[in-house]
Amino acid sequence: MEIFIQQILNGLSIASVITLIAVGVTLIFGLTGIINFAHGEFLMVGSIVTWLAVSNGWGFPLALCAAVVVVAVMGFALERGLFRFTLDLPTNGFIVSLGLIVVLQHIVILFWNANQKSIPHPLTKVWEVGGVRIAAVRAMVIIVTALVVTLTFFVITRSRYGRALRASVEDRDTAALMGIPVRRYITGVFVFGSALAGLGGALLIALFPITPFTGGTIVMKGFAVALIGGLGNLTGAVAAGLILGIVEGFSAGYGLSQWTDAYSFALMILVLLIRPQGLFGGTSGPRIT
Amino acid sequence: MKTPFRTILPTLVVLVLLATVPWLSPTNRILSLAITAGINIVALYGLSVLFGQTGILSMGHAALMGAGAYAATILARDLGVGFWLAIPLSALVAAAIATIVGFPSLRVGGHHFVILTFAFGQLLTIILTNGGDFTGRATGLDLQAPLTLFGMDLSPLPRFYLLVLGFVALSAVASWAIVHSRYGRTLRAIRENEKLAASLGIDVGRHKIGAFVVSGLFAGVSGVLLTYFLRHISPTQFSSFPSIYLALMVMIGGARLLLGPLAGGILVAFLPEMFNLDPVESRILYGVCLIAVILLLPNGLIAGLLDGWKRLFGRRPASSPAAASRSSVSGG
Repeated sequence: MEIFIQQILNGLSIASVITLIAVGVTLIFGLTGIINFAHGEFLMVGSIVTWLAVSNGWGFPLALCAAVVVVAVMGFALERGLFRFTLDLPTNGFIVSLGLIVVLQHIVILFWNANQKSIPHPLTKVWEVGGVRIAAVRAMVIIVTALVVTLTFFVITRSRYGRALRASVEDRDTAALMGIPVRRYITGVFVFGSALAGLGGALLIALFPITPFTGGTIVMKGFAVALIGGLGNLTGAVAAGLILGIVEGFSAGYGLSQWTDAYSFALMILVLLIRPQGLFGGTSGPRIT
Repeated sequence: MKTPFRTILPTLVVLVLLATVPWLSPTNRILSLAITAGINIVALYGLSVLFGQTGILSMGHAALMGAGAYAATILARDLGVGFWLAIPLSALVAAAIATIVGFPSLRVGGHHFVILTFAFGQLLTIILTNGGDFTGRATGLDLQAPLTLFGMDLSPLPRFYLLVLGFVALSAVASWAIVHSRYGRTLRAIRENEKLAASLGIDVGRHKIGAFVVSGLFAGVSGVLLTYFLRHISPTQFSSFPSIYLALMVMIGGARLLLGPLAGGILVAFLPEMFNLDPVESRILYGVCLIAVILLLPNGLIAGLLDGWKRLFGRRPASSPAAASRSSVSGG
């Protein structure tokens, strides 16, 4: 029983990061129709910023804020500079994001080489509750993610902005006629999604060492989770993230760690075969036929 | 019947010119680059049928190449099957895997399919890595089989180059034949308007899978050439990122013209050499080129150049340049 709970806890911390990515991916796709494959590279940049800040003597909380801000600004620049021009042609936007993967990865390698990078655990305490060891750092990651996702959920379902946002997803043209600045909302959502990726990057490097190629695996899991839950469905993304985290945790705990990366893909393929709209049903995006 | 032949003529001329390369005493490095480019181009012609004609983007094409490469290597190791028999057999293996991968495309369209193919690429890498001695784990497999044609050893670089060029020519002709067949017209109808095509009685799902399987055949052949060239293969060569580079090459060259894959493959292979760039810099350059091409010349470099040529020197203005550049690479 201890091992059981232990594995769930271990799986949940990494699942938190994946859920952050999936929420970003799902939000951006839901409103803009942009499939941003470079989202994982946004996360990787967040990790690198955290690593740079911590190596220069900043504390982890400050480094985390820096990562969020830097990646959000990067998201803003890329939305205004690139994705804006592909809004009418989602496939082109998707290909642009592929180019972006290559560019971002190799710019990071160019300046800071391709080696593994890590920071000392920001929290070293380990609690032990009835044979289950809880590392404070993992708990922090889970709590921060839970807070941020809950907040996002409430803003979207309860606030005026959230309502306007959902209206834009339903029908962009009508929303625009009602005086909702849809273009500005698109930028806003893209920047917010990028900020989540930055946060995910900071949390990830608090858990594990990262390399410039980390983004590729994480973003695929993020997309897998988003698709399993139903693309555009926030609740689905969170639920699917939890499911994946638990599955991965068990796998690692019971000696099948070499297959860990395969579950998300296998699960996604299975779900899409049985229920193409995802487990919890999603939008198919604003202009995707 | 005159027009279809005119479309393949420039490609054949270019190929004949390229066939003279070994007599210009190139360095081994140039020949190796040219061979790698040629091997990629074989797969690119498959991608151009899939993406250029049908409008489906595959992000798992390197995995299909890998299926061909592993099939050829394992056939040679366990059954002593040589190159010439491995070509059709491995192409069939790759096509079979494409069928398995393509099946979900019946259920989900467009972007889901792209993400699925990407995931299949990753999944295959994991399976190859965990396949034990059969797939050689993370270190991969060595190929010891000789490569001969009528008793002549084909492994020296100039001969291997001509062999690859032969396969490039074959795939160009095959892709041309598909484009100008009834089948090609059906695929284009699906690309332009899926619902309309379906209402005309075209089985859209079956043809989409068909196009994917056909492109898998090309990828399989390309994989066999690759393993016979490198003599060693490992899982990471066929993961998702090589697939991105393949997509990038076909996009830079332009997927709809017969010269496109040729231009894309050659440009991407030789650009870093021409500008003396290290691998990291050249990859940044690829990425930037891809983004620039998509934003500025959505139909690819060659189509863009032809457009510009027509606009500058054409007797009458191109039918509608604005519409042509808007028509984009969308679809799926």
